[in-house]
Amino acid sequence: MSNHSNDKLLLEAKKIVSQCDRCGTCLPVCPLFEAKNVEASSARGKNVIARALTEGGLEPTPEMLAKVNFCLLCRACVDTCPSKIATDEAMINIRQYLVNKTGAANTKYKAMGGILKSRGMVKLTAKTLALLRKLGLGSVFPHGMVPEEYTRAHFLAAFSGPAALGQKAPPSDVAVTASTRVAYFDGCGMRMMFPEAAAETLKLLKAGTQPMVKDNVCCGLPHLAHGLRDEFLELARKNISIYEDADVVVCDCASCGGTLKHIASYFANDPHWKDRAAAFSRKVMDLTEYLAKVGYTPRQKVDAIFTYHDPCHLGRGQGIKKQPRDLLRAAGKFVEMKEADVCCGGAGSFHMDYPDIASTILDKKRANIEKTGAAIVVTGCPGCLIQLAKAAKASGGKFKAMHISQVI
Amino acid sequence: MISEEIKKKIRGIVGAENALDSDLDRFGYSYDASFVPLLPAKKPDLVVRPATTEEVSKVMAVAYEHAIPVTPRGAATGRTGGSIPLQGGISLSLERMMKIVELDVNNMMVWAEAGVRTIDLYNACAAKGLFYPPDPASWKFSTIGGNVAENAGGMRAVKYGVTSNYVMGLEVVLSDGTVLQTGGKAIKNVTGYNLTSLFTGSEGTLGIVTKVLLRVIPMPKKRGTLQLMFRTLDDGCTAVHRMLQSGLVPAAAEVMDRFCLEAVAKHRKTQHDPAIGACIVIEIDGEDDEALALQTKRMEAVAKECGVYEFRVAQSQQESDELWAIRRGISSAIASILPNRLGEDISVPRDAFPEVVRRIATIAEKHKLTIAVYGHAGDGNIHPSILCDLSKPGEEERVHRAVEDLFDVTLSVGGTLSGEHGIGITKRPYIAKALGESGVKTLGAVKQALDPKGILNPGKIW
Ligand SMILES: Cc1cc2nc3c(=O)[nH]c(=O)nc-3n(C[C@H](O)[C@H](O)[C@H](O)COP(=O)(O)OP(=O)(O)OC[C@H]3O[C@@H](n4cnc5c(N)ncnc54)[C@H](O)[C@@H]3O)c2cc1C
Ligand code: SF4
Ligand code: SF4
Repeated sequence: MSNHSNDKLLLEAKKIVSQCDRCGTCLPVCPLFEAKNVEASSARGKNVIARALTEGGLEPTPEMLAKVNFCLLCRACVDTCPSKIATDEAMINIRQYLVNKTGAANTKYKAMGGILKSRGMVKLTAKTLALLRKLGLGSVFPHGMVPEEYTRAHFLAAFSGPAALGQKAPPSDVAVTASTRVAYFDGCGMRMMFPEAAAETLKLLKAGTQPMVKDNVCCGLPHLAHGLRDEFLELARKNISIYEDADVVVCDCASCGGTLKHIASYFANDPHWKDRAAAFSRKVMDLTEYLAKVGYTPRQKVDAIFTYHDPCHLGRGQGIKKQPRDLLRAAGKFVEMKEADVCCGGAGSFHMDYPDIASTILDKKRANIEKTGAAIVVTGCPGCLIQLAKAAKASGGKFKAMHISQVI
Repeated sequence: MISEEIKKKIRGIVGAENALDSDLDRFGYSYDASFVPLLPAKKPDLVVRPATTEEVSKVMAVAYEHAIPVTPRGAATGRTGGSIPLQGGISLSLERMMKIVELDVNNMMVWAEAGVRTIDLYNACAAKGLFYPPDPASWKFSTIGGNVAENAGGMRAVKYGVTSNYVMGLEVVLSDGTVLQTGGKAIKNVTGYNLTSLFTGSEGTLGIVTKVLLRVIPMPKKRGTLQLMFRTLDDGCTAVHRMLQSGLVPAAAEVMDRFCLEAVAKHRKTQHDPAIGACIVIEIDGEDDEALALQTKRMEAVAKECGVYEFRVAQSQQESDELWAIRRGISSAIASILPNRLGEDISVPRDAFPEVVRRIATIAEKHKLTIAVYGHAGDGNIHPSILCDLSKPGEEERVHRAVEDLFDVTLSVGGTLSGEHGIGITKRPYIAKALGESGVKTLGAVKQALDPKGILNPGKIW
């Protein structure tokens, strides 16, 4: 913890949580409080614990680390809070603080963080998965999560009648000038678990430009979220350098996109990196954001009913809600589900730490999806996709889960 | 401290997972939404979360036997420290009792368990075309039991009254575990003392409310929102009074002073027009659009007589939602100006509203403090907010004296310490001044009769 002294972390958290007046507005929106309605699991509860810690009223203990780990970082609370208290940021800071202080860095997270950090290892997908399983992390990246049937070819065969297939949507008429250098950000989740979908993203990009494919490293969110901040900063610096020659960096993972867009704020006080980080964050775009900008029209309109799940890091995280829906409306029939923006319970590795709670949350999501009568639930984040694929399985085949790049 | 043996007994009643005693779980039940300092934490020894009246009764019997303090708790959104377990013991949280037991459409009444959220009750009734009017600004997260225990008010009080106007009956567990039912569905009822009224607003000091019988009314078919800007607060209050006198009853009439408006503008990054000294947001309701149009026209005429500066009718649901969101968010907007905010909740005869606001300004000046004022212009319930920085030397003392002056002014015009938030801990020191010796003595006699061991929410009200 060289440049991030613990006092500073505590101070940063204090600035946030001391503004919470305990009003309780956030109580009904926190999915975890709904699943386990004990005060300490709510956003208010966690903020107040953090506040007492920063004011010396509570001791840093493993119990406290468990409480602050019990957060999806979904920002539903931030959205509804009249004072916009950034509970998620406070939790990240306090996790880091407690990890430093108690030396309790979950060895589990360290191992995972180490794997995601090394580009080489991530490439060896099969090996990585085997290793993850050995470490007891198999459930984060369940193998066979995207069986063959979810691929684009099958999707088209299953849902587009011959007529629909015939009327190919005209190619996008927005000229992406030859000088716009578009690059793809190849996120770990997409690469390891949904390579089919990542390939579709590249195809979509190729329709209008010649995307640069880089040897990027992990966006660093898993590290940041679990008290490995130095690793996060190191990864961020690498990515900033890697993409220096691109004008636009397109992400098909909501969590990567959200994290990369926020990188600037983590370097605001670093004279060496401040400007480069800011320039980098500015050019990051979600896939749907990019497609909307270039006026992309889906390749075909099919006879399928879609519904859409807002990834926390896209809807609340980046304010992107309209673009994916517009694209889906153009690609088929779109039905909005109830509480589309409520977290699916995936939240990085949360679902492996608290499988029961995560499944309670997911059951509700599944019921909401089923109510729409949609054949496909679409989303834009591999983390959510894992959860939704589980829900699809639990629904006994009533619907399928797909990444947006696979259906447009 | 509660012995392991007693804990074991209680776990046997509610299940181990509903009797929490880890340090942080207990800490979670040590505060509410009041400005009572968080630290040192007043942790309960045990958090007990019963699911049925029977469980509550059994837990109370154990507590009674061993003289363990019990503090009932809903969602801890109280503003006066009511659910803080001052003397440790048991925090009895009703949050798991969330069932709407019966919705009797014929009699237009509903039985709900204490832990039902106000908004859930509202929605369940609304689905049947029925209307539960009391709407504390916290209605999305407070519980109906908490509303009854505090006799919560809301913005619609001017036309529809407060919680107590809708409580027809209660199921209450007394301090020794006895289950009592008060009132009932009969609309006229003079059999014995009115115990329903006694328990309503008793802040958890007389018994645990487990179920509530509420009356509801037909849902108004149409609603509209008006925004009236005045040069002075006096003009605005006069307008509201004249409306009421001429039989024009707004469903809500909320006033904000200049300071609030500036804070809102700052919060929302807009500009405040310095000519405007007060804003009143009004809700109207009625049978159809014509009825609303007629009310609007008549209100506009009255407002013009009183020199209204700007009269706006919200043109869409979105616009009216936005206006109400501004009103609901006001406490946060002003709280963000200085580190500490002490919100009060005085209530005065309606015509004293402008006078009291003027005298609040004098108090602010005298003690060199900033006091923002907003409140319910229609019913005389004012929320002065003292904005301060308690870390500054001497500030706390000045705030303290300002609050005393504020209460003196309130009482001198025939007002009262609390309109809707209750006394709890924060207003305790002033109760004798407000009720007089005989008043306090009578409350004491009631308390003694119902809670002879003094185990229910000790340290509150007096
Ligand atoms: C942002 C905000 C806005 C608010 N706006 C309003 C408003 O407009 N009008 C208004 O009146 N209040 C308002 N309040 C105050 C508060 O929400 C109300 O007092 C509410 O009724 C408290 O409900 P609760 O469930 O949170 O009760 P708690 O805070 O948990 O408890 C309040 C008191 O009731 C007792 N109690 C709770 N449940 C029971 C029970 N089942 N049996 C016996 N005693 C019980 C407790 O011991 C305590 O003394 C506001 C609060 C906030 C934070
Ligand atoms: S970020 Fe999500 S899970 Fe975490 S406290 Fe807020 S609402 Fe709850
Ligand atoms: S986080 Fe915001 S909404 Fe939640 S209790 Fe604190 S101030 Fe209220």
